Amino acid sequence: MPAVPFSYNVRSIRVRWRTTLATVLGVGAVVAVFVMVMSLARGLKATYVQTGDPRNLLVLRSGSTAESSSQITREELARMKYLPGIARDGEGRPYFSPEIIVLIYLDRLNAEGGANVLVRGMGEMGLAVRPGVKLMEGRMFGSGRRECVVSRGIANRFANCRIGESFSAGKADWTVVGIFEAERSAYESEIWADADEVRAAFNRDYYGSILIRPESEAAAALVTERIDSDLVLNARVLRETEYYKDQTRAAGPIQFMGGFLAAIMSIGAAFSAMNTMYAAVGARTREIGTLRVLGFKRRSIYFSFLFESVMLSGVGGVIGCLLSLPLNGVATGTFGWTTFAEIAFEFRITPELLGKGMLFALAMGVLGGLLPARFAARKPVLDALKA
Amino acid sequence: MTAAGFIVRNALRNKRRLSLTILSVALSLFLFVTLQTALRELTEPQTSADAALRLITRHRLSVATVLPQKYLNRIRQVPGVVAVSQFTWLGGIYQDEKNFFPQFAVDADTIFRVMTEISVDPLQVAAFAKERTACIVGIKTMERFGWKVGDRITLLSQIWNCSPELVIRGVYSGGIDESNLFFHHDYFDELMDGFGKTGAFWMRVRDEASVQPVIDAIDSSFRNSEAETKTETERAFQLGFVSMFGNIQMLIGSISTVIVFTMLLVTASTMSMAIRERMREIAVLKVIGFNGREIFGLILAESFGLAVVGGILGCGGARLLYGSVDIYSLTQGFFTKFEVTPHIFVSGLLLAGALGVFSCLAPAWASIRMSVLDGLREVD
Repeated sequence: MPAVPFSYNVRSIRVRWRTTLATVLGVGAVVAVFVMVMSLARGLKATYVQTGDPRNLLVLRSGSTAESSSQITREELARMKYLPGIARDGEGRPYFSPEIIVLIYLDRLNAEGGANVLVRGMGEMGLAVRPGVKLMEGRMFGSGRRECVVSRGIANRFANCRIGESFSAGKADWTVVGIFEAERSAYESEIWADADEVRAAFNRDYYGSILIRPESEAAAALVTERIDSDLVLNARVLRETEYYKDQTRAAGPIQFMGGFLAAIMSIGAAFSAMNTMYAAVGARTREIGTLRVLGFKRRSIYFSFLFESVMLSGVGGVIGCLLSLPLNGVATGTFGWTTFAEIAFEFRITPELLGKGMLFALAMGVLGGLLPARFAARKPVLDALKA
Repeated sequence: MTAAGFIVRNALRNKRRLSLTILSVALSLFLFVTLQTALRELTEPQTSADAALRLITRHRLSVATVLPQKYLNRIRQVPGVVAVSQFTWLGGIYQDEKNFFPQFAVDADTIFRVMTEISVDPLQVAAFAKERTACIVGIKTMERFGWKVGDRITLLSQIWNCSPELVIRGVYSGGIDESNLFFHHDYFDELMDGFGKTGAFWMRVRDEASVQPVIDAIDSSFRNSEAETKTETERAFQLGFVSMFGNIQMLIGSISTVIVFTMLLVTASTMSMAIRERMREIAVLKVIGFNGREIFGLILAESFGLAVVGGILGCGGARLLYGSVDIYSLTQGFFTKFEVTPHIFVSGLLLAGALGVFSCLAPAWASIRMSVLDGLREVD
């Protein structure tokens, strides 16, 4: 079965570019919206997925699903600190960081209003157990001092958070002494200070959680076993990465919105493609008759028009993807329900997401092209020539 | 044949194209209305008339920082305050993390004098006040979990170290949010071993004139104390929450713009298709004496009519749909209400009308400028 040459479709589109353009751009807009909204959900998810070190263990009060609701007493802390299996640094200090998180309200930099920001009090090994975090400017907070280090994201978005500046929170004034970067993880939305200072300033008798680095996988199992089976301890152990992965639920509503928008918009765009293709078929009725006389089969005509429709929407898809690309890496923030604090993240456009957008576009082309192509293929030769 | 008949006949000559175009306009407006409604639900806290007289005192630092319980007495004595209740967010889950709904520990004797717009059977209020572990639940949450009065439920707090075991003694309806659960703050304190802290104080003031004096009186009374307060109206308080969502407004705004732009493209291209295929007829009309303005009028009326029909379908469809589905259980509590307000409905229709006008401008202009001779020569 000889196929109608592709160049026929390409040239036809070139002749009718005005009406075609609207459809192409329509498909492009749908793909752009889809990719943008989904990249928002991706970004939020990625932020959580990238947080934590797979080797680390997080200890929470049993029954507690969030650090904010967890409580660990000082007695419990002492019981756990020198458990065998916890890795130690050159000076023999265990990789063990008791932590407490509190919320403070900070004013935004150069903008109205403010937001809740998470302050994490941590032990002296807090930075050491988080190898993904790098101190970029200044120095680490001093132990026993009312000092803090802030993430680059916080420094850029909130007032009084540059090195040397200070803000008041709890019963104290905190001086910013350093800025860290955390590889776009959830830590990018935090301020870090000495755990005991934070506890004192915010009247907390207890710690919230403990972050532990075991010596090895086997040691991790051992530490977990020891803590879980200790009846005095009201604690449970989970992997740090597991904990943060669980927070990706936050992206659910955004994902739903992306799917919903894309579904409805794509039906609209398919209608538009159908319109254009019907018009194309109508205008080329005589050409169709001629093609048939030349010996092209109905099937060839059918696939030729279907191909044309898919090609149109494919071009639209590419335009949509290109339109959405500048958004990649743009920073934004939203309210995190688990922590009650603002979480910063970036739009993240991956090749996989672009691929999905293109699939979407092609599907619209097929949907929009099926009926007009059948219509074209079924035209009786004689009528078509007479048109 | 009348002018109207002529326009309708013209519009109907290609029924397939007409219906496809109307449907795509309708879908776009459906989306537009949906997005505007979502935006309104998220960013404009709905407050009843009553809310103007309701104030909230919270910790100056953040909504999540607790206040000493003993502040209650001092607030109660501020002139102008009619009733005040503690208000502590439990943040609990029922059986599974998916089953999230708002729960507050409150003062049983005053809460319904503060939340005056919600209605509960007075007998149920009395039963609730008498029993330490009783709770009153909003009708939406009752329906969501299929609860009945008398049922026992256990909530596991995600924030506090406690799991209240409650018995449902009443159901309320009305107010902005029909999904809350209220239980005794005394019971919460007991579970927390005499915690002595509270999340916030909600109060009702006598009249509009007392709002500012009460705010000033409370905040100055606690200035330089262990926990400084911030008192604000319910609306201001809700807006504070909204600002934490970040730039969702910009996101939805830009999506709406893209949709409107796409609609314009699609409608304009259909109109130009429709007009191009009748270049000859337009030339004939000119020959028999119609002037440019009349021809423009014919085209405009067709385009406008088409867009408005699409608009009515889309906006009306959205209104009907969201009016009849239970958005609360559909979104698992994310939206408590999803009301297409008359304002949004009308702006959707206006948008459709504007779309009809703008999309025909370019093709109409081209057909008016075209010489009669060219038009008659046009084959297709």
